[in-house]
Amino acid sequence: MDKMTPPERFQAVLMGEKPDRVPVIPFILGFCTKIVGMPLGDLYADGNKSFEAQFMSMRLYGYEQTPMYGYASCGPWEFGGKIGFPYGEGHSAPYVIEHPVNEIGDIDKLEVPDSDKPVGGFVEAQKLCDRCVEMGMPGIFQGGSVFTAAAVVADTTKFLKWMKTEPKSAHALLDKVSQMFINQIEYFVNRYGADKCVVFDGGPVEANTVISPQKFEEFAFPYMMKVHKKIREFDIPVTLMHPCADQNLNIPYYIKMRESLNWKGIYAWIFGPETPLKTQIEKFGTHDIIGGNVDPPSIQTKSYQEVVQLCKENIEQGIDNPRGFILCPGCEFPPLAEPIKPMAFIDAARQFGVYK
Amino acid sequence: MVSKEEILEGLAKAVIDGDEVKSEELAKKSLEVGIDPYESLMKGCNKGMAKVSDLYEIKEMFVPEILLSADAMYAAIDILKPHLKVDASAKKPAKVIIGVAQGDIHDIGKNLVKMMLEVAGFIMIDVGKDVPVDTFVKKTIEEDADIVAISALMTTSMMYMEPVIKKLKENTAKAKVVIGGAPINNDFANKIGADGYGKDAVEAVKVSKKLVGA
Repeated sequence: MDKMTPPERFQAVLMGEKPDRVPVIPFILGFCTKIVGMPLGDLYADGNKSFEAQFMSMRLYGYEQTPMYGYASCGPWEFGGKIGFPYGEGHSAPYVIEHPVNEIGDIDKLEVPDSDKPVGGFVEAQKLCDRCVEMGMPGIFQGGSVFTAAAVVADTTKFLKWMKTEPKSAHALLDKVSQMFINQIEYFVNRYGADKCVVFDGGPVEANTVISPQKFEEFAFPYMMKVHKKIREFDIPVTLMHPCADQNLNIPYYIKMRESLNWKGIYAWIFGPETPLKTQIEKFGTHDIIGGNVDPPSIQTKSYQEVVQLCKENIEQGIDNPRGFILCPGCEFPPLAEPIKPMAFIDAARQFGVYK
Repeated sequence: MVSKEEILEGLAKAVIDGDEVKSEELAKKSLEVGIDPYESLMKGCNKGMAKVSDLYEIKEMFVPEILLSADAMYAAIDILKPHLKVDASAKKPAKVIIGVAQGDIHDIGKNLVKMMLEVAGFIMIDVGKDVPVDTFVKKTIEEDADIVAISALMTTSMMYMEPVIKKLKENTAKAKVVIGGAPINNDFANKIGADGYGKDAVEAVKVSKKLVGA
């Protein structure tokens, strides 16, 4: 039986102590709309509804994840473009309707929102974070990735080509996007205090199925550094990192960022299932919390018993990570998974994740 | 005087380098010196793209570079195409309907597969992104297509692949279904009755060729 409450358990991991068992952060976003019977689009279109759905799901299952706000297409809305919310069949996340940047000349015209108010999705993030902070939970909001955001602020195909044909312009765009994130982080820090903030940074466009590690070094790394330097200056204690999909070739740069910033906070890493836990523990385990990375499509397509088995294997590989381990999927929990599937995570943590 | 071999090799290199200006220039040059446009297409453009495909497979080329190579290739094809002679006796190329599953707007992967299948000689009919099940089925029947290629990047949209397969079977369409995308694997492809799975664009071409006996 559990000997700690979810907040006690997660706090123990953050403090570098051993909890009673492995905590479960199931990266549940769209899935929880089923719990309250609301349309999936509301999770992103309305920060208050998003809080309600995530909070109810958290209470129902008893996992350690607290409500958060963010999505991969962050950026266009904040710079005056248009996004659509996932109300249609098969949709699962906001998508871009109008990119603010379609031609090189548009980059100069982009105005970076300042830090005196939230913009775009950060308005909804603030509604959710207000509720969380009022109840003693951290405000978890998005602070990247800069590269993925730039790749959707601009027409994605054009942006990818500009890295080769118009590198100065690509850098100019990345610089503006990074400043937008810094300004929005500053707004949240001023509103709640840094100790109540958790920044979530991650995106799929920098995956090595899309760009080379050389391009990551040239175009993603400097702006990730710029944002994280500010996170360190703000003294935000915890940053959730989700290098989405296959980013194995980018790992040296994540290590370099940590080392060159002399990082004093905690990173919690949730890599895609393509990155073995053994590698993550070797590279980050001494300093950072490692999140398990159960394959998300398998959560949707396999049986309860099979998902428990996948979680068991994940726990066995990660439980002894020196700085702590949390059981997670390698990306968002599939919104269409059966309601029993988060229980598979909890059950596995209770059966196989107990610390002696 | 530039030789025929130099022009064809230059064309292939321009495609590999993603140099659109050079590929246009060499395509024009090839016509001026009387090289058969089909030969320029096969030994210049396609040879270059085949190399691009090899480099992508071994992670020495990535999406930005491939997009530029595709631009260079299409620039040359636009110049060569009007001069190609139609061979009525030639075997009819296989026809592919390609699109992104319902609910999904991520089309970069689909565009890469489309381009590589085109280079491999398939006739491509692109139905776009966020494509309803019925559109895939209707278009496949209308075009009497040989292959339907469906991509999905989300766990929500991947669930719209199986209904396409079922409805094609109900309509006794001859087309084989090839699927791919980040959340897809071989087990899922087998489970929903797909005829093939490509983990990336290169494999999608290999699987498609096998399915049509090319």
